Amino acid sequence: MTTERPTLGSQSSLREANRGRILDAIKRFGALTQVEIADAAGLSTATVSNIVKELTANGVVTTSPVSRSGRRALQVSLARRLGLVAGVHFASRTLRIELSDLVGTVIAQQHMPLPADHRADTGMDRAALLIADLLESIGASHEELRGVGLGIAAPVDHRDGSLPVHGIQRGWDEVQIAPSMARRLDTPVFVDNDANLAALAERRFGAAQGADVAAYVYVGHGVGAGLVIDGQIFRGAAGTAGEIGHIRVVDSGAICHCGNRGCLETVVNANALVESLRATHGNLSLRDVVNQCLAGDAGCSRVVADAGLFVGVAVAALANVINPRVVVIGGELARCGDLLLDPIRNEAGRAVLRNPASPLRIVQAALGDLAPVRGATALALDSVSLTADITEVSYAN
Amino acid sequence: MPTDHRNPARDASQNPASSAVPSRASNPARDTSQNPAPSATQVVDDSDRAASSTGQVTKPSSPLPPPILSLRGVCKKFGSVRALDHVDFDIRAHEVVAVVGDNAAGKSVLAKTIAGVHPPDSGTIYLDGRPTLIPTPAAAHELGVATVFQDLALCDNLDIVANLFLGREARAYGVMKEAAMEDIARSVFGRIGARLPSVRTKVAALSGGQRQSTAVARALLGSPRIVVLDEPTSSLSVTQTAEVLNLIEHLRDLGYGVMLISHILADVQAVADRLVVMRHGRINGEAPMADVSYEDIIAAITGVPNDLTRATQRRADAARAG
Repeated sequence: MTTERPTLGSQSSLREANRGRILDAIKRFGALTQVEIADAAGLSTATVSNIVKELTANGVVTTSPVSRSGRRALQVSLARRLGLVAGVHFASRTLRIELSDLVGTVIAQQHMPLPADHRADTGMDRAALLIADLLESIGASHEELRGVGLGIAAPVDHRDGSLPVHGIQRGWDEVQIAPSMARRLDTPVFVDNDANLAALAERRFGAAQGADVAAYVYVGHGVGAGLVIDGQIFRGAAGTAGEIGHIRVVDSGAICHCGNRGCLETVVNANALVESLRATHGNLSLRDVVNQCLAGDAGCSRVVADAGLFVGVAVAALANVINPRVVVIGGELARCGDLLLDPIRNEAGRAVLRNPASPLRIVQAALGDLAPVRGATALALDSVSLTADITEVSYAN
Repeated sequence: MPTDHRNPARDASQNPASSAVPSRASNPARDTSQNPAPSATQVVDDSDRAASSTGQVTKPSSPLPPPILSLRGVCKKFGSVRALDHVDFDIRAHEVVAVVGDNAAGKSVLAKTIAGVHPPDSGTIYLDGRPTLIPTPAAAHELGVATVFQDLALCDNLDIVANLFLGREARAYGVMKEAAMEDIARSVFGRIGARLPSVRTKVAALSGGQRQSTAVARALLGSPRIVVLDEPTSSLSVTQTAEVLNLIEHLRDLGYGVMLISHILADVQAVADRLVVMRHGRINGEAPMADVSYEDIIAAITGVPNDLTRATQRRADAARAG
């Protein structure tokens, strides 16, 4: 591969750009024939053929002969090394799935909206079918799938992958998630809280790289946090470590679904946020609030900023307990950037013990909405790489 | 050109029963039964519901933008079957309205009324607050209503571009502008976020989700404001369903008013902002999606009275009274 950056407008920079377009097309659609790549990338078939040859020689893609409407064609897919793992993220309103090879290259992904209060049986069936379809789309067999990491928006007792606290994902209470998903897919499944997984992903690949103590705070449909200490997820005794959504922020506030009064999550959750805008803005979704905030709407910006103030109180409490090197803010509202983060910084700054050796750093998530699914993939990779038959996997590169 | 269909005078002259003048055909029996807590049987089993048409475009509670399209008191009979029985229905921009119901509840007839296939027997359709006739599908198209029917109506033996422009090909001096049409097709697919590798693929080779995307793209070429999707996810695999649901979210974000007809509740609950339950040609429940549970919806579909149907009934009564 090229080591120096070629001059702009030169033949080689053009070739590099074309290489990028071809790889983008393959990543987007799974396996494609060369003719399809040419159309999807807007390049001539000769160019595609040349570059595919080069990419095959470099081991980036593999080709296999197929037949399309009676004609022979060459199907191109991303090269995968040593097998595949899947990352699955059941967020409050979205399901995300990602396939990676055992060195962590993402091969294929898919997402779909979920109903509020989604049910475990429908959800797991759909996830299993989506994984099967993704495997098929890249021309992989089911045996290549070595493990699945699954993140869910509720505290998880990682010892058996069940939800110790009921009522947070009502449709998933009393479901043995790991074994029932493993039965559907015939492969080991590892379950964790999605904020924990997002924290792991941001620590490895995102905004918290190199931090010995890092916290990830999810702000969106609810509030939660994941903690990574010395590179390891800190889960507490049975999964409820980092549940900052249940820190009391309003003394005489509303009763929370957990039964306590004035929890952070009673004032920062999707319903509360859109409800305070209903009289002036009508029915909005959480995504509308974020989009309008970014477009400069005063009411939506105010709602986001006020949410930031409440989150700041909890972030300060968290920081006073674990003294993180960095606090990464993610979730749907984090897309508002400093419109959310500045109020968090201000409010947290007023309530945290200032430590000149490690001033509290609060930053936006680098992986965006993909952080939890990346973390789920990382969890699967970590878990399957411990099994004996694939010890040859090297993370050296 | 569309002014013809928007002309209230013409509307009134052709369809006097449903003119813009309020027809106060309220049912006295119904009015007297207006107590604060109507009994369950009264509410649901009231097949002789009074004409709910007040003929007025309702003044929506202030924060909601006015609907693009409103139906008031719309009825449609096929022989002795009352397919639509005094239906009130609104679609706003930037909104996904789901219409659910049992088979033969009137969902598709409602869609076809909006699409100009079945003009109503009585009742009024308002476009931007003005009484409007939608006598034919071509008229609906001109008025900005794009409909994707259940069968999609694509030609398998033609490629995607040919299907998109069938009958309205871009021409210069009698020659088709293939490159220009391809560019438009690509830009539409890009805009709706559809996953289609090549716009020159024959439709026969596409997956169900890709066919749905193609049909939606064709509907969008006329720059509509309302997109009606009739059972877009029935008989699709999960992957294809995912793509169609993502497409619907995309259409909403682009500001279209989307009417989603479906009986797959998981899909409806995933993307809809507002829910309308139909039963035997009547609206048996209407609420913001966030306010209703799965159980409420099932109850309203199957005719079990619950909070959802009662609230809808109360609103209808209030509209009639005031």
